[in-house]
Amino acid sequence: MSLLKLEQATIRFGGLVAVNSVSFEINPGQLFGLIGPNGAGKTTCFNLITGVYKPTSGSILFEGKNIAGTPPNKIASKGICRTFQNIRLFKSMTVLENVVTAGFLRHKTGLLSSLLYTPAAIQETKDLEAEALRLLKAVNLDHMAHARSADLSYGMQRRLEIARAMATQPKLLLLDEPAAGMNPQEKQDLNGMVRNIRDNFGLTVLLIEHDMRFVMSLCEEIVVLDHGEEIARGNPDEIRNNPKVIAAYLGEPA
Amino acid sequence: MNGSNFWLVRIGSILLAVAGAFVINAAAGGNDFTQRLVLLAALYVTLAVSLNLINGITGQFSMGHAAFYMVGAYTAAIATLFNPGVASAHPLPWLLAMMVAGSIAAGLAGLLVGVPSLRLRGDYLAIVTLGFGEIVRIVAQNVKFGDKGGSYGFSVDTKVTAVWLAWLLAFTAIALCRNLLSTARGLTFLAVREDETASLAMGVNVTQTKVTAFVIGSALAGAAGAMLAHFEGFVSSAMFTMDVSFIIVTMVVLGGTGSITGAVVAALLLFLLPEKMRDLPSMPIGGVGAFFIVLALVVAGLRYVSQTFHGAVKERALRYVGVVVIGLVTAAILGFVLNQLPAVKAAPLVEGAKLRMVVFAVTLIVLMLLRPQGIFGHHEFSWDWLRSRLKPKSAEVTPV
Repeated sequence: MSLLKLEQATIRFGGLVAVNSVSFEINPGQLFGLIGPNGAGKTTCFNLITGVYKPTSGSILFEGKNIAGTPPNKIASKGICRTFQNIRLFKSMTVLENVVTAGFLRHKTGLLSSLLYTPAAIQETKDLEAEALRLLKAVNLDHMAHARSADLSYGMQRRLEIARAMATQPKLLLLDEPAAGMNPQEKQDLNGMVRNIRDNFGLTVLLIEHDMRFVMSLCEEIVVLDHGEEIARGNPDEIRNNPKVIAAYLGEPA
Repeated sequence: MNGSNFWLVRIGSILLAVAGAFVINAAAGGNDFTQRLVLLAALYVTLAVSLNLINGITGQFSMGHAAFYMVGAYTAAIATLFNPGVASAHPLPWLLAMMVAGSIAAGLAGLLVGVPSLRLRGDYLAIVTLGFGEIVRIVAQNVKFGDKGGSYGFSVDTKVTAVWLAWLLAFTAIALCRNLLSTARGLTFLAVREDETASLAMGVNVTQTKVTAFVIGSALAGAAGAMLAHFEGFVSSAMFTMDVSFIIVTMVVLGGTGSITGAVVAALLLFLLPEKMRDLPSMPIGGVGAFFIVLALVVAGLRYVSQTFHGAVKERALRYVGVVVIGLVTAAILGFVLNQLPAVKAAPLVEGAKLRMVVFAVTLIVLMLLRPQGIFGHHEFSWDWLRSRLKPKSAEVTPV
């Protein structure tokens, strides 16, 4: 069974159809790419999957259940977590605190025991911190654990977002332009890192990216959107040679 | 953490807080005026710390904190009005019960206001809470209980002056906030302040978190209100005007939004400063003028130093001291010169009491100019923090 399945997902903002009856499915363990020119509806697609928007029509099935219109925090607890195109860290908090916060989903002690600082709450905090450090190691940020997250370099902030998303222990990780603003070396490292995460943590990854070389070298299956509609689907080689994709990116010959 | 060790530390710190409260109680002495100052200071600390949980830690700008303070006070006052016998027979247990009742009532009021309005952000929430504060006050002004109540308020016959209990309440408020922030759950409150969209995506129930902060903060204010009602022996809507809400907001902002330590320090400063300045002597107008002129120059000088010099702490401190000393000397000379002018000489002395609020306002302006992030910024006081502030980075020595 597919992990995530979009069936005719459509969203309209007034007269604008941002995503028009898009259907694709992602199997567990896949590295799946979502590409397309600016304004193609990629991030809107992410917002549909993560519950920021409710689709006007169509359904979004996660593990066979329709999650369309579920609030974002509920979707996170079902096992979908994301990063943001324009980095959204908890800026004044430390790197470690950012990741611990995302472990909130697995809080077991209640508010009262936190207010009274009971041994259970202390132990839970320690466990979450230890786990956060493990994740920071996976994205190679453990040496910065106590720095303020706003003080990190751009590439580091992107990696921290990935670690933070992973702290919710998702089954499906959505990465919104993870390589944006990175230099070639950082991109190469990120490529290896995403692969490692998939292999070691048993995740499925859906990513949006503009850097074609990055997507082609990382993803196993790619869907191309243009003007809110799917224009192509297939493995990197098929996409590379698809005339519609070439036209969408380079413009049609006059 | 070692189990028995944990309980040892826990019981020890509770005992320390109780002992501290009684030391303050003893220090306040039997003098009515001093007792009043010390007790009200504790209530303001409670109010500032509880509002800091809402405004500072969770980032929801509420401007109606006096309303929850009032709900607590009126709950206690009305309950006492209808149960005069029980109240006068056991004043202290009654006061404790009223603090609980006041906090429950204020907490419920917080829930009532919070659930619909916390979906709003920033300015909109500020306006709604401001409106709520006024509604509560005006309702209280117009509701009568038989021949009592209304705009004249009514008396609370059981008067209790328990300075130690007020401080115990303040310590409780501080402890609750600190505890919250030391656990993983507390981080979600900060996360809501930092970025709501990201918090949601990480599975944080943002609305629930905000409402929780709002209810806890209101409940603490309610307990303080009940205490106030029994201390004053009187409640009226005029005690809970918008000014009270504003001064509490000012305490939170001045202390450093989100810093519990900052809220405490600012509450003490802003409450005690105007009170202490009641005894200011009358002064010649030349001196007063010179003081304010030089103060403006000194502030400009301090800002210049802090923005221009980034050397070692010692050098910077020396420059700060230099600016202040030069300022004092200049003020003395300028004051002397100004006082020689015939027009100034002929002018009457400025009464100290009238200067009080001027000095208060100027203090706020000066502090905000010199430390726009608040006295403590986002930081909390801890010995490590103090050490790291005092020690220049280059001189860091690893302990042997």
